[in-house]
Amino acid sequence: MTEFAIDACQLGKAFPGGTVAVSGLDMQVAAGTVYGLIGRNGAGKTTAIRMLLGLLRPSAGTARILGANMWQAGRQHRARVAYVSQEQHVHAWMTPRELCYYLSHFYERWDQPYAMRLARRFDLAWDRQTGLMSGGEQRKVSILLALAARPEVLILDEPAAGLDPIARRELIDELVDILSRDGGCTVLLSTHIISDLERIAEQVGIMDRGRIMTDARLDELQKTFQRVQVVFDGRLPPDGFSVPGAIRSSTEGPVVTAVACLLSETQLDEVRSIPGARVNVFPLGLEDMFIELLKPRGEAEAVEART
Amino acid sequence: MLHLQIDPHSGVPVYRQLMDQITYYAASGALKSGDQLPSIRECARALSVNPTTIVKAYNELQHNGVIEMVQGKGAFVAQPPAAMSRREQGKALRPLARRLAVEAVQMGAPAEVVLGVVQEEMEKVGEGAAADNARVR
Repeated sequence: MTEFAIDACQLGKAFPGGTVAVSGLDMQVAAGTVYGLIGRNGAGKTTAIRMLLGLLRPSAGTARILGANMWQAGRQHRARVAYVSQEQHVHAWMTPRELCYYLSHFYERWDQPYAMRLARRFDLAWDRQTGLMSGGEQRKVSILLALAARPEVLILDEPAAGLDPIARRELIDELVDILSRDGGCTVLLSTHIISDLERIAEQVGIMDRGRIMTDARLDELQKTFQRVQVVFDGRLPPDGFSVPGAIRSSTEGPVVTAVACLLSETQLDEVRSIPGARVNVFPLGLEDMFIELLKPRGEAEAVEART
Repeated sequence: MLHLQIDPHSGVPVYRQLMDQITYYAASGALKSGDQLPSIRECARALSVNPTTIVKAYNELQHNGVIEMVQGKGAFVAQPPAAMSRREQGKALRPLARRLAVEAVQMGAPAEVVLGVVQEEMEKVGEGAAADNARVR
């Protein structure tokens, strides 16, 4: 079995002054797969990514991309990885044409015809200084440069922030094309646009307060987390009743609604067998799942979190 | 291309939605034995989803005998399976039947209602062929 393309083990970062941004982070991404990283603002996603890329020194743990520690890796190794960061770092005085010419020297697999196709697809002025472009256009330039490098590992930190829905879909479609090609690409996508992950992520990591709280295949998450509604016929729920596997639960009259972690189909059978109890199970979109797992608990909530 | 209605945000895995629709089209005759399915790449592009979800759907459909993938040529709707014995059919349908039975008992529906509904649906699937044919072709 070959190594993981991205491999972080117990990664941690404590900043001077005491802030612990990342702690005990494990992340293993198999080559050619798409890993979606989601988490609230401040969860530590960007810090974790920067450590993976060798842009920030970890306080603990190890991080490797394609088998090497990026902090120490040479230029040739680093050229196999491309990164779209949250902040634009594109030289404002350069045009896309000039940026492509400049970067092509760093990346052995640089694909200039592809760069030009992307510029047309993203509707970018080839000879316009990027500093004169809108925020969204600058973002598209960053994406274009990362994709044209034909990397083996592509790390995208909020690439779609500030992009209109059409541009967002174009990015997804470009990623789908890349994933369809022979040789594929390993993609780490950190995003708040959870609907994008539902299209392309195979693995999803939910990060909370510096660590990965849940890491699973997307289709496993979709099968496991469901909305469960139990309606008691004309009476209130019995004292102490709770839906097995519930993470969140609320009761209104005879109806108990819960978001539950269902590990097997028969888990709810005991509830179904309660006389007068009607059980309905509904699928849960990833965004709703994320919100239910991570939103702050109100005083009214009676159920403990299951991690 | 087949009309495939996929909602990536519903919480139902995309590969599952794809499987269910293709299975339905094959059962209702909208897709006939030997019909070619879109390539994995075409499907992924058309639906804007990761090609691995299409791969997973096609693999499971092949495993279930609904389609056949021919090296170098593509994916095709399979020849109908050799007639299963009634016993084999019963065995294959039992898990679905159990779920139906649980629902029915919950709401206190008698067996006649359940059997009636199942019969109507089976008829509709057969009738659906004509309507789907018009849409798909």
